[in-house]
Amino acid sequence: MDPYSAEGELINIHNHFHQGQYQEVIDFDTSSLSSENALPARVLQLRARVALGQAEDVLADVQGESEPELEVVGALAEQALGRGDAAVKAVQKLVGSAGDNATVQVVGGTVLAAAGLAEEALGLLSGHQGNLEAVALIVQIHLQQNRNDLAVKEVAAARRWAQDSLLVNLAESWVGLRLGGEKYQQAFYVYEELAQAPATSSVRSLVSQAVAELHLGRSEEAEQALEQALKKEPEYAEAIANLLVLSVIAGKDANELTSSLAKVEPQHPFLTDLAEKSELFDKAATKYKAKVSA
Amino acid sequence: MQASSGMLTKFESKSSRAKGIAFHPKRPWILVSLHSSTIQLWDYRMGTLIDRFEEHDGPVRGVDFHKTQPLFVSGGDDYKIKVWSYQTRRCLFTLNGHLDYIRTVFFHHELPWIVSASDDQTIRIWNWQNRSLLCTMTGHNHYAMCAQFHPKEDLVVSASLDQSVRVWDISGLRKKHSAPTSMSFEDQVARANANQTDMFGNTDAVVKFVLEGHDRGVNWVAFHPTMPLIVSAGDDRLVKLWRMSETKAWEVDTCRGHFQNASGCLFHPHQDLILSAGEDKTIRVWDLNKRTAVNSFKRENDRFWVIAAHPEINLFAAGHDNGVMVFKLERERPASAVHQNTLFYITKEKHVKSYDFQKNVESPTLLSLKKLGSPWVPPRTLSYNPAERSVLVTTTADGGSYELINLPRDGSGAVEPTESKRGQGNSAIFVARNRFAVLNTASQTVDIKDLTNNTTRSFKPPIGTTDIYFGGTGNLLIITPTAVHLYDIQQKKTTAELAVNGVKYVVWSNDNLHAALLSKHNVTIVTKSLEQVSTLHETIRIKSAAWDDAGVLLYSTLNHVKYTLLNGDNGIVRTLDQTVYLVRVKGRNLYCLDRAAKPKILLIDPTEYRFKLALVKRNYEEMLHIIQNSSLVGQSIIAYLQKKGYPEIALQFVQDPTTRFELAIECGNLEVAVEMAKQLDRPKLWTRLSTEALAHGNHSIVEMCYQKLKQFDKLSFLYLATGDNAKLSRMAKIAEHRGDFTSRFQNALFLGEVEDRIQMFKEIDLYPLAYLTAKSNGLEEECQSILEATGLTEEQLTLPEIGEPLTPPQPVVPTYKANWPTKATSQSFFEKALLGQVEGLSLEDEPSAANGFDEAGEDDAAKRSGALADADDDEDAAGWDLGDDIVPEVEEGFVNVESADAGGAGISEAEIWARNSPLAVDHVAGGSFETAMQLLNRQVGAVHFAPLKPRFLEVYQASKTYLPASAGLPSLVNYVRRTVEESDPRKVLPIIPRDLETLAANDLQRGYDSMKANKLEDGLKLFKGILHAVLINAVNSESEVAEAKKLITSASEYAVAMAIELSRRSLGPQDAVNKDPKLLKRSLELSAYFTIPKIEVPHRQLALLNAMNLAMRSKNYNSALSFANRILANGGATKILESAKKTKAQCERNPHDAVEIEFDQFAEFEVCAASHTPIYSGTSYEECAFDGSKYHTKYKGTICVVCEVCEVGKHGSGLKLFA
Repeated sequence: MDPYSAEGELINIHNHFHQGQYQEVIDFDTSSLSSENALPARVLQLRARVALGQAEDVLADVQGESEPELEVVGALAEQALGRGDAAVKAVQKLVGSAGDNATVQVVGGTVLAAAGLAEEALGLLSGHQGNLEAVALIVQIHLQQNRNDLAVKEVAAARRWAQDSLLVNLAESWVGLRLGGEKYQQAFYVYEELAQAPATSSVRSLVSQAVAELHLGRSEEAEQALEQALKKEPEYAEAIANLLVLSVIAGKDANELTSSLAKVEPQHPFLTDLAEKSELFDKAATKYKAKVSA
Repeated sequence: MQASSGMLTKFESKSSRAKGIAFHPKRPWILVSLHSSTIQLWDYRMGTLIDRFEEHDGPVRGVDFHKTQPLFVSGGDDYKIKVWSYQTRRCLFTLNGHLDYIRTVFFHHELPWIVSASDDQTIRIWNWQNRSLLCTMTGHNHYAMCAQFHPKEDLVVSASLDQSVRVWDISGLRKKHSAPTSMSFEDQVARANANQTDMFGNTDAVVKFVLEGHDRGVNWVAFHPTMPLIVSAGDDRLVKLWRMSETKAWEVDTCRGHFQNASGCLFHPHQDLILSAGEDKTIRVWDLNKRTAVNSFKRENDRFWVIAAHPEINLFAAGHDNGVMVFKLERERPASAVHQNTLFYITKEKHVKSYDFQKNVESPTLLSLKKLGSPWVPPRTLSYNPAERSVLVTTTADGGSYELINLPRDGSGAVEPTESKRGQGNSAIFVARNRFAVLNTASQTVDIKDLTNNTTRSFKPPIGTTDIYFGGTGNLLIITPTAVHLYDIQQKKTTAELAVNGVKYVVWSNDNLHAALLSKHNVTIVTKSLEQVSTLHETIRIKSAAWDDAGVLLYSTLNHVKYTLLNGDNGIVRTLDQTVYLVRVKGRNLYCLDRAAKPKILLIDPTEYRFKLALVKRNYEEMLHIIQNSSLVGQSIIAYLQKKGYPEIALQFVQDPTTRFELAIECGNLEVAVEMAKQLDRPKLWTRLSTEALAHGNHSIVEMCYQKLKQFDKLSFLYLATGDNAKLSRMAKIAEHRGDFTSRFQNALFLGEVEDRIQMFKEIDLYPLAYLTAKSNGLEEECQSILEATGLTEEQLTLPEIGEPLTPPQPVVPTYKANWPTKATSQSFFEKALLGQVEGLSLEDEPSAANGFDEAGEDDAAKRSGALADADDDEDAAGWDLGDDIVPEVEEGFVNVESADAGGAGISEAEIWARNSPLAVDHVAGGSFETAMQLLNRQVGAVHFAPLKPRFLEVYQASKTYLPASAGLPSLVNYVRRTVEESDPRKVLPIIPRDLETLAANDLQRGYDSMKANKLEDGLKLFKGILHAVLINAVNSESEVAEAKKLITSASEYAVAMAIELSRRSLGPQDAVNKDPKLLKRSLELSAYFTIPKIEVPHRQLALLNAMNLAMRSKNYNSALSFANRILANGGATKILESAKKTKAQCERNPHDAVEIEFDQFAEFEVCAASHTPIYSGTSYEECAFDGSKYHTKYKGTICVVCEVCEVGKHGSGLKLFA
């Protein structure tokens, strides 16, 4: 039986992970799990620790382990520590040796996609055997490539064999937020449900809810959700970035938020993008000049 | 035939065989006559025996209530008909005449008549007012078993063991006994001859029809309430239906099914049904039109003898071997669901209708559910899904089934649903906008289904689950007989459990934070995580509940509407004369459905619970408001406040001095206590007050109390304690005056006045003591004089050892001057606000108005509820959010147009924006700055973009959000649209921060403010900012384009005006300027030009005032005069006008300018924005294509100084703000 299915042992830890409740994943009691599920649970916990910024510990943890699952997690940790090339190389090696391992696919796909090797990642992930995590990753990579059409297809296909799974719902919401219109509201429903139920609430789902609200034009609600998220985790860059966007939309002064974002994550796409555009502006502006200078 | 599922037993009694039954038409009473000779009066609602009437001898077979009088009639085997008063609980009189057992007795519906049927084969009609026998109807040749009046016509129907049913015409009897009206002779003759006489010449009652068809004796017969139909039941086990016309009557059909004697039958008062009861221990329900069995109810051991129907409500009773049962055929609770301001409900005709709470209108029928379930079983529940506008209806028919149907957008009559999805299940509710849960009690499973009716998941609920309810987001409330479980659908496990017995309904509060669990006699309020908040018990059945917006639960019992606060504080709101099902509370309106499934509004007075709620929440403003605007009075509220520990608030309500005094003491409000004590002036109160005041250290009140009580000793001691020697000596004088030596001594002692003490001893001849006192205080002379007076010498005395003379200590602090400093008595906001106001409110005078409505309060409540309603509208269907469901195929068609299905990256939405729009702003938002600049250059000749950079970046920054997705990957970037509803990528457009509306509402106002506040530098910056923001912007309609143009012009004019004034100020300090004639001239000119731009009038006044004052100071009276005239022409603030008038008067005396300036008040001109010199009309000029500022031609080609972006004189295609 699929351990991630609704009746499986791993459903809760798995859901925690994808709801962004990383601490809950780490705190999950794995002692009662059956032996074949122990390793996937450990992988999930390690990944959660990476997500919480404990990559170094994770690296130390998997040092010398020979299971491909743990090796690939090691690569993930490497990448989180900024050694992207080494991570990619490690993954590429694992792809050769254990390319059909589900964990290698998912984690390796993440590493490759994060390194910008989208096609390679898709190639790896396409070998999945009914793994929703892989589907979610594929959807996300498609969206990052602005291939909404492919993402829609992927979700629709997954929906057919995995009706009500959290990951399908999430992936569908990602697509929904991209497509817009009525889909905004539907995505909002999903995130709101996750964010507002105490059992599933996490900073990530709160931010996601806020993003959906922001797209729906409900700035006040979005602001509330973001502030709630920031209260829980004041240094969460995505929350700050989105609040920043919101403030700009509301016509408020956003300088303070910009600086706090720069402090938390100087390499945040928002900032790099903005700097790039600022340069572009200056360059473009030089093309024009008044006939007579005053 | 169906099982007895539909029948609901409401009441059962245990007794000997019940032979006769009668419902009271209004009250919840039933009369039961027993085989044992007793007549019982039961309250079937409460299940109590009200009375017993035992005067008959032997079995009593017939009873009937009078429709309007407090009377009932009975007939028994003692051949007697008795008429009783249930008020006096006595038999009023007995009608004798029958010669054998009496089987039935019935009152006439309007005449003072009784009809009786007897084993003596006669049917008799009696007048109970004059207690006489009117008529004896003979013809049956066996026992007459039953005789009844027709409910409208002058007919009687009778049944007899002679196997016949007879219909009798009694119109002759009525004519004979009705009051003679004016009647012509002919009429009388006609009347006399109208009725053919029977063989005895009797014209009063004649047999009209004899109905033969039963093969055995007929036990019961009844008329249909409206149609010309008769139903009869006989020992041949048949129930027969007969029809009659004016001239004949015939058998219509037979209902076969009873397998023993059928003993009673009747027509359903409202529905096309026949009910019959028989000795085969069954009650059977038949379809009147098809004569088919609809339902049957079987009792184990008891034969049924009689059946009766309530005349008004859907209630029946049947008498059997061991008592009586009261039952109904079906649930009368209309299935309904509330969404925001709409109620959806199912009528008795199985029509789905909606009702708008705000407009108070019912919709036409939205849908007909005729085919749902079986025809006689009403739908049980209705669940509404606002996202899909669909309903989920369940019915108990066919062992429980549900149907999912989409509602049409608007009601267009009784449409049968075109498409519906159905299935088996006992309960079905929506749990998300695209999911519903179905409970199957038989298999004990809950299926979660999607809207296509496919099961997406399924689980086993806790054992013994009877019902399910919505449990908040992603949760179900699962009801078992002994507990309620909160079940998480995702995790498939119970997250909370609460032991509550027999929960039947769950009502969620409007904010979804609390739920009320209703069981038969209990209301349990729980939080959304199923923690019990409070619980209460009712002795009467609880029927329904609805939440007030403020979080007060209103619930209805069989006869009351009550409220309960979250803390369990409850009370009665109003009484009910019929059962209703509450659906919503809004201010003073309580919306409910009655048993006929009609929406009704009950007016309630929410004052009491609002007040209590405000008290609990310590919302004193609200309380104050309630007190001021409603007639909330009476002892109950005072007692309530006192009990709840708010004596200080209760104090505000009370006028009665005694109570006020008590409350004041209780809350330590001495002032009020003193006031009341003075009013009442009773020693006991003064004593209590003195104690309390002493405890407070308020000795001035203590003093007053002691004075009132004439407690001199205490008073003296008080003065001593407070160090008030002056008063102490006065006390001494008083004591002397009173001749109270003890007191005098005491006071003297307190005062340390030895002489006074000695003097007193001497006065009362206590010389030894006087001597001793003198001696001990060293007053030798005094000693001597005492010795002399007593004729003794020192030697003769033996004195004890004398110690130091005792002197009382002197007060260190003059305590008496002020009371002990205490914290001011707690005066809450509430009290302060009330003081004085409530004093005037006479509480005692208005208790009668306690339940009345106060106009002001009502208006206010309406207003408040209006506001609440508004708030409600904003609320979304917060509960509807589980899972998600996108039909992706829809979009596919054109997505593929953009890019082939091959790999590789697609284009981002940002790029699409630029493609979609000719507006610069959309290009900016899309990050395509170059094309944006091109556009601006082409449209308005923009050449200098640096000032626009902040605006460019602002718009760009607002364009994207960052959605956290898979762990380890960067967030997904999504593009924020202003076209929120749009999903066609060819039409989507980006959001624009600070749109036109914001600019007009905020920035423009701030600009105005800076003008008023004379902060021109800031103002200039603001207006330029506005210009930049409008330049990079978009609007939604052509009319907004005009508004934007107006905004541009206005901002531009202000910018010019401010720049002129600023340049004047930059000429230098006023003194320096005055000295330099050139500067002075320029200064005056600029001040004059400042008045030219078309700025708002009040602001222009400021400019004019400025110019006028400057001109005055420089003795340019002519110019000043022209400014003054313009100010006066503009009107406005009086202060400015005054000043202008004064100036005008002054200038008119000498209208000449001292300094010649280039300003012709009569010439029309505009001001060049760059040089600030006039451009007279007629001369050529250049302008900025964007903001319209004017320039002398020599400035052509330079950058506009107003917007700082565009090139002067460069004509573009015009700014595009709307595509």
